[in-house]
Amino acid sequence: MKKRLYLELENCIGCRSCLAACTQCGGHEERNRNYVYDVNPLVNRQTMPLMCLHCENPACARSCPAQAIQIHETGAVLSALVEKCIGCQNCTIACPYGIPKFDHEQNLMYKCDLCIDRTKDGISPMCASVCPSNTLQWLTDEEIDNKKKQFNLDNGKWVTSMPYLEGETNVKVNLPGILQGITKLF
Amino acid sequence: MQAKAAVNQKSGNTLNNAFASHFAKSMFLSVTALAILSFIGTRMFTHVDLNLYGYMVGTIVFIGGFFYRFIAWGERPPTKLILKKGLKLLLRKSTPKTSVEHLATYNFIWNRGIYRWTQHVLIGWGCILSCFVTFPLVFGWMYFTMDDNGHYNIIAMGMKVMTVPADGIIANLSYNALNITAVMVIAGVCMALYRRLKNMQARAEQKFLYDFMPLYMLLLVSITGLALTFMNIFLHGAGQPAMSLIHQWSVIITLIYLPFGKLAHIPFRPMSVLARNYREHYAEQGMKECKVCGDQFVSVEQSKDVVDVLCVNAIEFKAKEGHHLAEMCLPCRRKYRIAQFSGFPTHEVKVKEANQNAKG
Repeated sequence: MKKRLYLELENCIGCRSCLAACTQCGGHEERNRNYVYDVNPLVNRQTMPLMCLHCENPACARSCPAQAIQIHETGAVLSALVEKCIGCQNCTIACPYGIPKFDHEQNLMYKCDLCIDRTKDGISPMCASVCPSNTLQWLTDEEIDNKKKQFNLDNGKWVTSMPYLEGETNVKVNLPGILQGITKLF
Repeated sequence: MQAKAAVNQKSGNTLNNAFASHFAKSMFLSVTALAILSFIGTRMFTHVDLNLYGYMVGTIVFIGGFFYRFIAWGERPPTKLILKKGLKLLLRKSTPKTSVEHLATYNFIWNRGIYRWTQHVLIGWGCILSCFVTFPLVFGWMYFTMDDNGHYNIIAMGMKVMTVPADGIIANLSYNALNITAVMVIAGVCMALYRRLKNMQARAEQKFLYDFMPLYMLLLVSITGLALTFMNIFLHGAGQPAMSLIHQWSVIITLIYLPFGKLAHIPFRPMSVLARNYREHYAEQGMKECKVCGDQFVSVEQSKDVVDVLCVNAIEFKAKEGHHLAEMCLPCRRKYRIAQFSGFPTHEVKVKEANQNAKG
């Protein structure tokens, strides 16, 4: 059963469990590859997570001169292959979301690989497995459709796409309805 | 004026016009170069070691696969760009240092772990040294002759380089060069295999054809090579003819497979030197300032190049404010996305991003 990462942004309580969990994924070498941002840091405590959205047409891979960024059959855009990455950092410039990180010592780019060692077997990525507030969820398309029925949306924008994102992505992001001026039922 | 330009263009292309494709041109030039070098090295083909002709044919097939793979790769827009600009900058002062660090001492792998560095040095230098011995022997660029009994002449490119006692250190190192490198490669491959069996990340991502096959092939090449020595010394040559064919087969298969598997990174890796030069040179030329916070985060040239490469791929990320997303620094680009999600301009709040590195 194909599952995907699904984000309900307004649930985020800023605990940064997802960052800590990310460090513990096999091969992440105790460095996290995702982010949590304060939306309006001087005024309130609203936070939102940000991680690789696994674009269907990934700019990072298109801009890589070494073909180091591979796309897995599950749609996950993988971290750079260590033997191929030449350290040009094109991917960090190309990514519309600013996700890839670069290690100057190791001359190597690393980014979210959707915990491919887990997700290729249908196990949720580390971040979603620890999220205490259901901001990050690991759902089948059917479950995502069921969620849609709980919401009363009049603009047809159930999960984000253009113009909030730059293209179609494998990770589905549900925008905070209140901030967008759209009614949500809970 | 126009006609003159056209004529100039035409005369500039005559060499290319002689060939059907890049591939044909590269193949022709390299096979010709090999033939000429062998002609000189073997003193007009009088010292060809015909025992090794299988390797010669294998090498030429390998060159075919190599050009097929790498010309296709070089045509990708980002690759072409780095190759073109990087080659122009090859004469930078820092090139020798960068090359040694990237291609000989592998400092960046040291930073990834001492175990991985050790295994890489053993395999890498084992293979490189083997190639330095094997290819000159195959194409006759190096051979040995004996004038007085007990002394070998080492002949390189048809010229006598030195005369060494047949039981001296240099002579022994020459006889055993491939044995030594075989032991290095076997040790390195065993370390690599052990890591692939134990490391959870490696176990999740590795594929037989991509990750294991090259290691097994290197192991086969080294073990059959050592077996040849063993048969010569301890078995008085028994089984040697059969084993030499097995060894030859394994080497040729490894060579032909090389451009298409993991080992493709060997001929491919020097591009990291070009990339480093490209980054350093254009960083000196001028840095791009982030459109939001004004931080300098990448060279103007690279920012422009990436935008162009994405354009070729029909990807264009224009922000509502009119600039390209690649013109924002990374933290600002991330905050800009949060701003798109939330409707509040997070990227305009002058607060540095905080607490993004969980110490697991």
